[in-house]
Amino acid sequence: MVREGKLSWLTHDLTHRGVTAWLLTVLLTGFYLVLYYTEVFTSVARAIGLDSKWTFYGLVYTSAIVVGGIFVLRKYRHNRYQVVRTSVVMFVQAVFAFSIPAILKFFHQPEYYFSYFWPLKFDDFVPGTIFHLPLVYILYSFLGSLLLVPVLGIFFGKRWYCSWVCGCGGLANTAGDPLRHLTSKSSAAWKFEKIAIHTVLTVCVALTALLFVTWGVGNRAPALARFTSGFQTFYAFLVVAMLSGVVGAGLYPIGGTRIWCRNFCPMAALLGLVQKFGRFRITVKDNMCISCGLCSKYCEMGIDVRSYAQANQSFTRASCVGCGLCAEVCPRGVLRLENVRRRHPQELALVQISPARGGSRVAI
Amino acid sequence: MRYVIIGNGVAGTTAALTLRAREPEAEITMISGESDYFFSRTALMYAYMDRMTLRDLEPHERKVFAKQRIDLVRDWVVDLDATERTLRLKSGKTIAYERLLLATGSLGTRLDWPGLQSAKEGVVHFVTLDDLAQCERVTPSTSEAVVVGGGLIGVELVECLAFHGKKVTYLVRSPWYWPGALAMEESEIITEHIRRHGVDLRGTEEVDEVLLGADGRVRGVRAKSGAEFGCQMLGIAIGVSPAVDWLRTVKTPPKIERGIRVSPSFETSLPAVWAAGDCAEFAQDGEWVVEQIWYSAKRQGELAARAMLGDRVRYEPPIFYNSAKFFEIEYTSTGSIGKPPEGSRTFFCRIPGKEASVRIVEQNGAVVGVNMLGARWDHTFFERWITERRSMDYVVNHLREAQFDVEFARVEIAAVEASYKQWRSPVSS
Ligand SMILES: Cc1cc2nc3c(=O)[nH]c(=O)nc-3n(C[C@H](O)[C@H](O)[C@H](O)COP(=O)(O)OP(=O)(O)OC[C@H]3O[C@@H](n4cnc5c(N)ncnc54)[C@H](O)[C@@H]3O)c2cc1C
Ligand code: SF4
Repeated sequence: MVREGKLSWLTHDLTHRGVTAWLLTVLLTGFYLVLYYTEVFTSVARAIGLDSKWTFYGLVYTSAIVVGGIFVLRKYRHNRYQVVRTSVVMFVQAVFAFSIPAILKFFHQPEYYFSYFWPLKFDDFVPGTIFHLPLVYILYSFLGSLLLVPVLGIFFGKRWYCSWVCGCGGLANTAGDPLRHLTSKSSAAWKFEKIAIHTVLTVCVALTALLFVTWGVGNRAPALARFTSGFQTFYAFLVVAMLSGVVGAGLYPIGGTRIWCRNFCPMAALLGLVQKFGRFRITVKDNMCISCGLCSKYCEMGIDVRSYAQANQSFTRASCVGCGLCAEVCPRGVLRLENVRRRHPQELALVQISPARGGSRVAI
Repeated sequence: MRYVIIGNGVAGTTAALTLRAREPEAEITMISGESDYFFSRTALMYAYMDRMTLRDLEPHERKVFAKQRIDLVRDWVVDLDATERTLRLKSGKTIAYERLLLATGSLGTRLDWPGLQSAKEGVVHFVTLDDLAQCERVTPSTSEAVVVGGGLIGVELVECLAFHGKKVTYLVRSPWYWPGALAMEESEIITEHIRRHGVDLRGTEEVDEVLLGADGRVRGVRAKSGAEFGCQMLGIAIGVSPAVDWLRTVKTPPKIERGIRVSPSFETSLPAVWAAGDCAEFAQDGEWVVEQIWYSAKRQGELAARAMLGDRVRYEPPIFYNSAKFFEIEYTSTGSIGKPPEGSRTFFCRIPGKEASVRIVEQNGAVVGVNMLGARWDHTFFERWITERRSMDYVVNHLREAQFDVEFARVEIAAVEASYKQWRSPVSS
């Protein structure tokens, strides 16, 4: 039941797909379209002394994370995991994703984002771009993407990146926090997620391979070069502009905060696969769940956490970004995020839990 | 085989799914008057506080029931004929069964205070979806509320009303909050916490009369102490009672005392009729008991289904454990709690700087119960230690293993250990 008062009505409406939520969605998607395809924000940027619309966008984005982060720090101040994680994500955004690139640019250095890696930041792996950079950047980019990302993923799960470092996750977990419950928990949405995200990953890997081949072949195959460049433009339009920007952030008030991360992000897909074989898991306390459903409701990745908890089944889902909110909202302290040394092989099996153990996950 | 289950709560639903897992061909029908689908009663408060929709309370996707071929009937059962093996529904329909499970749960206990009967508006309970609807209906026209009953449902209702900005007076009969499970020290922590949320919690107050306005709406209560508390909404949460009254007047009633009497394999006194969950009363250590908690209902539902399938089942309640949350304070307890048993020793330690505490009770050299407040613990460790009859020394030394707090937030066990050392061998000064 909604609390009385106009302010409560507004908050409720905004966070429950009401009229204001739809209005905000129109506004946000409009913002992204204007940003990408017009120069309106170039003049805005100039007017406030910034060099380009992208710096302006970076400033808006970072402010959203910092302001939202302050609210989140207050809201979950009793939970140290949330406090530490939120502080880190705010810090990374403000320093690595905003200040350092801006400073580099100011000193006419290559504008490099140290908090992004392939396959999320495609350019840092494209031979045509990266090999023009100084050696440190080349090393950082290759070692970071091929070594750091998966190794940390093995030890800590994908959370080290998706909910501690990444800017997309950062926005979701700060400014987006009041909208986190909107993500669909249906099994149909889960099915879609698995197909969509692995498709994007496959396309992304194929494109990367193609870029290397094209670069290796050089001028000898102009047709190939044309095809690759077309492919790259298509990817940049569909995946980067549409799915991560317009759809991913624009639809927050309707579809929840992790539409991009859950369904389309190639980095999340890759880390998800790593996570399945790594140490991270959500441990479920035996027979303590009261099936209230708060954990599922507030899962931004649409994981039906309750279905595991009420079946007494500790689990590792590829999509889990380890934000820890399920453990935070659980009124019975049933859930805990852990990096365990050894795991039960059963946890890797996707579903099929016998109803006789009190649960009733049915084969999906 | 044709199975029929009355009640789609956790006991009934767990039973239905257990039956289906074992008998792919059986016909399974589940009847309930309260809701179309199984929902989580334990989360009623989150619906009231706008954290969940009613649909969110459903633990299974709706299509699960169709997929598992469990026929759902939304109706009240009004008659049971165990000789004909038929049920009659309120709509007039008859349903035949071969094996029947009664899983009718419980209802809010009602007392006959003067004035209560004639109250037309403003009196609420907090157990069923109807109760919730009633609460939501009277909330906007309420500015002051009184809640009576010092248990878990009471404090949940209080939290909801405080959330909605009502001025809440919370009356409990005992001198301190929830003496059934909490000692005075823990109760003090909780009382202070509840009061900090603006709730006027009063101990040793018992309702004497419900005061009504001219229109029949509640306008207050008078306590036995003579004090009067004005309110437009009176929440009665003095416990729950098995929902068995309707069964007393059917054609062939089963044996009923407080609940439906069952054997250790959940058989009632009627042939081919079993009972499980909140509504069942069974013998434990020579006493008749009803277990009205979620975990028991779930376990009983599963075991009763197995008994119906012909398995040999002997229900023995495991070591008691429970958990709760008082506004923000989490609570876990395992083993014998409440009044410390004869000849026992109790170690209690308030964790510095937190609304948290540890209580361990030992009898004849073995730990028999723990009560933990304000931090997270894995009760399965306590269960094991109690079963293994571990000493208090052992439990304190291994307490770390049972910690279940979120990362970076573990409670300082060192403080507990220091306090324990001091308690064991107090240094005289
Ligand atoms: C507000 C609240 C909070 C709670 N919190 C906790 C908690 O935190 N932890 C805990 O362990 N326990 C808690 N409980 C107790 C727990 O919810 C119950 O023990 C549990 O739900 C019992 O399940 P059940 O299946 O036996 O019965 P119920 O869930 O009560 O289901 C019985 C069903 O049978 C139906 N029925 C009854 N008679 C008929 C009839 N004649 N015809 C058709 N249908 C009928 C009813 O409509 C009802 O839907 C709480 C209870 C309440 C009310
Ligand atoms: S929030 Fe906790 S108690 Fe509620 S369904 Fe999830 S695990 Fe179970």
